[in-house]
Amino acid sequence: MNRSEVLHRRLSALSIVSTIAAKEFKDNLRNRWLWMMAGILLLLSLCVSFMGSAVSGNLVVFEPAQILSGLVTLSVFMLPLGAILLSYDSFVGEKESGTLLLLLTYPLARWHLVCGKFLGHACVMTIACILGFGLTGLILISLGDTQAQLSIAIGFTHLIMSSILLSLVFVLLGYWVSLCVREKAKALGILLILWFVLVLVYDLILLSAVVGMSEMFNRTVFNLLILLNPTDLFRALNLLATPSDTLAAKSSLTLLAQTGLGLPLMYGLLGGWIGALLLCCSWIFKYQEI
Amino acid sequence: MNHQTLTCSANKPVVNADVVVKATNISKCYGKFKALDDVSFEVLAGQVIALLGHNGAGKSTLLKLILGLLTPTSGLLQVQGYSVGSMNARQSLSLGYLPENVSFYDNMTANELLRYFAKLKGVALPKVYELLAEFGLEAAKDKRLSTFSKGMRQRLGLAQAILAEPKVLLLDEPTVGLDPLASAFLYQKIAQLRAQGCAIIISTHELGLVQDQMDRALILGRGRMLASGSLTSLRAATQLSNHILLHFLSNTQRQALLADPILAACVKANAGQGLTLAVPQEQKSAVLNHLLQKVPVGDFSIEPPSLQSVFHHYMESLCPLQSPKMPTKTINITDINQAINLESVL
Repeated sequence: MNRSEVLHRRLSALSIVSTIAAKEFKDNLRNRWLWMMAGILLLLSLCVSFMGSAVSGNLVVFEPAQILSGLVTLSVFMLPLGAILLSYDSFVGEKESGTLLLLLTYPLARWHLVCGKFLGHACVMTIACILGFGLTGLILISLGDTQAQLSIAIGFTHLIMSSILLSLVFVLLGYWVSLCVREKAKALGILLILWFVLVLVYDLILLSAVVGMSEMFNRTVFNLLILLNPTDLFRALNLLATPSDTLAAKSSLTLLAQTGLGLPLMYGLLGGWIGALLLCCSWIFKYQEI
Repeated sequence: MNHQTLTCSANKPVVNADVVVKATNISKCYGKFKALDDVSFEVLAGQVIALLGHNGAGKSTLLKLILGLLTPTSGLLQVQGYSVGSMNARQSLSLGYLPENVSFYDNMTANELLRYFAKLKGVALPKVYELLAEFGLEAAKDKRLSTFSKGMRQRLGLAQAILAEPKVLLLDEPTVGLDPLASAFLYQKIAQLRAQGCAIIISTHELGLVQDQMDRALILGRGRMLASGSLTSLRAATQLSNHILLHFLSNTQRQALLADPILAACVKANAGQGLTLAVPQEQKSAVLNHLLQKVPVGDFSIEPPSLQSVFHHYMESLCPLQSPKMPTKTINITDINQAINLESVL
């Protein structure tokens, strides 16, 4: 194969991936999923920022660290759920309708399809996160003083970036399950269980274990267990990005922020989750008989 | 009026004699289950092949193998000279496929769908507009596919299958659920493609429709190739009876016919105004002459065994429970010969 042929194939692969991505993105614009997700995140961030203090009897705008902590706590429930709902039928749905079989007869490799879908869904989640959290961040910046503006800008930037990465991890977990089952309902069921375990149960078990069996859990084991759960990684990353003395004293999640890992490494680890899952999905799909 | 309903698709000209699909002793196993067992055949450019078989016979597996979605457990399968399965092969192949009951993307329009598929196949967009017009979908091109009828969906499906002007077209149950007009439209398009040299493999259970279009049939049963060939050769191989259909018989004619032992032995159906005789191919002329001498009927036709009869024959041979028994009488050819000869001597 000469150089021009190699270049032609690469361009062709790029064109196929972008065509599939554009289709996925348009689908989510058409069914208003993108606007719905962005709207939910915007409402959530506005409520936490401007009405979060109502439970304590006051109606004041919290400190940036408190706002971000509240947003992280709630986002860790919402984002994975949204990502799962976006991706659970990506493959099994097309298998059921017969379009996957048809697409595979086209001159495209299976990884084209995985990457194309992923790129389309990544655009959807990125726009939803930027709109949902970014607008609130801008409003808070416009209301705050110079010191607060910087803190909000940094905190929200980390929140948006880590939210996108967390969403993508769950989009890929959705693909994985979607590739392995034969019914949409089963895919959704398995993913909801996975969400329940990773978002709700895992932390409780981990923290209980640390408190109850502190002699068995040294720092290394604890760090490793945090790294095994992308939602904990997300929490730890954001707590580390917005340190607050008052918050640290109150929150049991402070333990998560004390992993001793730096921010770049945490971003790298979330990126690693994405890379590993993308490879895993492509590998499963490559050897799957349709 | 005497007329004969004879079909002889074997005489249709083959546009290009190149072998586009060649299967040599291919088998496909799923665990211990053998979906295909030692199947061999060839498909030439410009041929229409009917792929027939009972449910679970291995038709879909064979189509998936040709499409490169599966790889054979053993044997060699070549499409357009390439061994199937490799990506390099698929990129170089020119295949079109219409799956059974495909529902496409309901939220897209016909125009968007064809444009999407055209981009994936690297086909220029003007071809999309050309096909929309050719398949009578121009007026509905901006309507969502969820509003499309079954016939419109199948037309759209065939349009996507031929977007890149394929050399090999595979159609899985293309006419299931279609009204006669829609089916006729699809077969008209198939005939056009065939004339352009496209090899077409149609997997179907609607044998009456495919019979007049096909060049050859491949009959699969339990993963094995039970028979292959033109309808004429399959008729010869099965030695099934021809049917002489007598229309508008008077009571006198009917009684005269039934009184004749030779003709009475050939009666297959005796209902309404007509009567059907089942006659072995080699006895057709003799029985017909005898009939016309004994009972001067004015209106009759001769029908050779249909593809349906041939198919039933092979399914019966495979497993009597697989196929309902055709209501035929067993005629002893030797006895008829002897009786006719004896009468002529007397």
